[in-house]
Amino acid sequence: MKKDAADFLAKADALVNRCDRCGACLSVCPLYALSQREIASARGKISAVRGLLEGGLTTGSSIAKAFEFCLLCRACTEKCPSKIETDEVMVAARQYTAGKLGRKARHRLVAGLLGSNVLLSLVTGVLDLSRRAAMGRLSGTAGPLEPAGSHYREMLAGPASFPPLPAGPGAKMPQGGKIAYFRGCAMKIFFPAAAGATVNLLKKIAGVVVPAAVCCGSPHLAHGMLGQAMALARTNIERFGGAGLIVTDCASCGHSLKEYGHRLADDPRWADKAQEFSQKVMGLSEYLYHAGYRPGGRLPFKVTYHDPCHLGRGQGIKREPRELLRLAGNYVELPSADRCCGGAGTFHLDFPEEARRILNDKVADIAQTGAEVIVTECPACMMQLAKGEQQSGRFVVKYISQVL
Amino acid sequence: MLDDKLVKELLRLMHPGDVLREDLDLFTYSYDGSHLPLVPASRPDLVVKARSTQQVAGVLRLAYRYGTPVVARGLGSGRTGGSIPVEGGIVLCCDEMNRIIEFDEKNLMVTVEPGIRTMDLYNYCARRGLFYPPDPSSAAHSTIGGNIAENAGGARAVKYGVTKDYVMGLEVVLADGRVLQTGGKSVKNVTGYDLTRLFVGSEGTLGIVTKAVLKLIPLPKVRRTVQVMFSSLEGACAAVERSIQSGTVPAAAEIMDQTSIQAVAGFQRLEVDPDVEAAIIFEFDGDSEDNLDRQTKLAMSLCRECGSIRFRVAMTPEESEELWNLRRGISSAVAALAPNRIGEDISVPRAAFPEIVKRLRAIATEYGLRIAVFGHAGDGNLHPSILTDLSIPGEKEKVAKVVGEIFKAALELGGTLSGEHGIGITKKDYIVDALGEVGVDTIRSIKKALDPKGILNPGKIF
Repeated sequence: MKKDAADFLAKADALVNRCDRCGACLSVCPLYALSQREIASARGKISAVRGLLEGGLTTGSSIAKAFEFCLLCRACTEKCPSKIETDEVMVAARQYTAGKLGRKARHRLVAGLLGSNVLLSLVTGVLDLSRRAAMGRLSGTAGPLEPAGSHYREMLAGPASFPPLPAGPGAKMPQGGKIAYFRGCAMKIFFPAAAGATVNLLKKIAGVVVPAAVCCGSPHLAHGMLGQAMALARTNIERFGGAGLIVTDCASCGHSLKEYGHRLADDPRWADKAQEFSQKVMGLSEYLYHAGYRPGGRLPFKVTYHDPCHLGRGQGIKREPRELLRLAGNYVELPSADRCCGGAGTFHLDFPEEARRILNDKVADIAQTGAEVIVTECPACMMQLAKGEQQSGRFVVKYISQVL
Repeated sequence: MLDDKLVKELLRLMHPGDVLREDLDLFTYSYDGSHLPLVPASRPDLVVKARSTQQVAGVLRLAYRYGTPVVARGLGSGRTGGSIPVEGGIVLCCDEMNRIIEFDEKNLMVTVEPGIRTMDLYNYCARRGLFYPPDPSSAAHSTIGGNIAENAGGARAVKYGVTKDYVMGLEVVLADGRVLQTGGKSVKNVTGYDLTRLFVGSEGTLGIVTKAVLKLIPLPKVRRTVQVMFSSLEGACAAVERSIQSGTVPAAAEIMDQTSIQAVAGFQRLEVDPDVEAAIIFEFDGDSEDNLDRQTKLAMSLCRECGSIRFRVAMTPEESEELWNLRRGISSAVAALAPNRIGEDISVPRAAFPEIVKRLRAIATEYGLRIAVFGHAGDGNLHPSILTDLSIPGEKEKVAKVVGEIFKAALELGGTLSGEHGIGITKKDYIVDALGEVGVDTIRSIKKALDPKGILNPGKIF
């Protein structure tokens, strides 16, 4: 069942038709604030998709680039009176332009790497060696393995995307069964210590198994490789088949896994299994909080929290990490905590200058709180914030599992 | 197509990055917040992002010499097509001219560039204890320049008036590029014609505002939002009327009918009692909590007499914001109810409010269409929204008839075609009905005197 590129665009038709062009998104879009060009805004991109659908525009490299110039951060969706999912529209539009014009070599490389467990373990091994070699240079405990030196490391930064969660009950607490930890690619490669801390935390509550996961598929979806994304989804569903509850500490993986039911809804062989799988997924802080975990003691530093787009707006998990950090002690709220940090999957590679400018605002906000530690729950944010740490030198970045 | 020489001269005048010529950019400056079809697109020939009065004047001198249309634009949130370049030419975007030039605390005035967002101006003044009252629903994404061009209103008009009531003076670039200063900071001023008022609401057809002196008032110390549900729309209208008559003028009295309430409730996942036929959001402001208590109590008893079934007072600023979000999101929430929504913006004398609502219902029944009604009950300005599917054959013609009937009803009751959105493209067919031949002749003469070549926002109003 091969789909034509135009089919993907048609999928976005119902969404873009709901836009009445009021312009509310212009007041919150980080990229509109940066460039002040209509095409950077959600309204601009949605109108461009409509232009393609209705014959007012033709496909070309500039429109493909315009669709890439989106953080998929969902700030627009939250503001939109019609709650239009611009990220979902962009996923469809990128699938369309990719089908028409081809994919960027960089995106293909990232997808290829993440799609293959053999390559992934090779990379992990190499990084592991280099990490050992670089031990002495590492700042603090959690930071990325080394400063921004290795370019390809950045290319793996977690994905950035996705759509609303289908309505339905969240995952249920396990009844004495084991928790399956979904260790995403970025956690495995770049933040093994944080991933280890996650496992230790989970072990305080229940038994933990770590099935061999493949990539959640989110980077593929973001860059027009739907087929591969769905193949990965099916593999994960099989490998986690016996799990009672699946917990992940990666915001983007969590968002993507919770979407499997929605993404595979039209596939009669997989729809039910995918739905069942998605309903078992919980984010780390979401699980910890609802399982009744309460961190003891008091953190010896002032801490603040940055909302990953895929956790806060993506999964509605805003309260849980804050409550946990408050209990851990010495917590202060970050102004505009839910504004995208600019990491956003491969955005910072595709548009480094813009990503840097977005990060500058985030760094200024963090500095304003006087916090010594900024905590987050997403490896992509972690990498971006680590750049901010180097830039300002006034705070360190830690993974949430390492402070609770 | 623009003359090459004009383009060359423009590029000399502007920073190259501020002149947009790529097709995709032109396409995205071909629309605004109005419900006009996106395709075929009314592309401009180029878009200029102005940074100073000198640049605006330079662009207009060139455009005047070459006879090229110039359409001013802020953030494109207008609802009647005012910033759509229907005859091509240059879109002159002023949203980056957004500085506050002077904050004059002694005279309670602020001087701003046109691109500043209404909400940003409000916040800036509020932090200093002063109040810029006009509050169009689009305040977060509309600019003062656009507010002046459309004489924007908002919910607080019932107590505080609309944009024109706060504009003291303007700097306007005329069609030929000369720079005119009007009005000023003197409260009393009868030196010549009141040109300031002439430009307010002129929809970019007479000149381009590059600076505005705006009046401020002290910020009310306390505010309270109240939401009241009624089992009948007539009861809700009566409650607003009686509240104003009693001397308790609310800072806002926003009404929504059942269709509108359910539309927003659907989006915000709220449960609404099916008996609720109408809701009003009142905002009261004053000097003290005691004063608010008094106003709230009076409103509660009046509402009860008019058949209210639920009276909710916002206890926190967050709750108050939540109630307001309900109202602010309504326009687009209603739009999502049907494939197409044709939103209107009629205004009637306040006393005629219940009557116009009755007539709107009669029109809806007669034509078998759903019409959602919401608006500013406190000042007689309503937004009837016709819900339809224009892809059904014959529907377009039917809707056109309904729109005509709505305008006719408003005019018969002593009302007007537009309360706060302007005429733009979408209502120009009805302008003679509203103003009469003499009225239209008069505005034509003014247009001709100020813009003899007709280059400023052609194809709008009349």
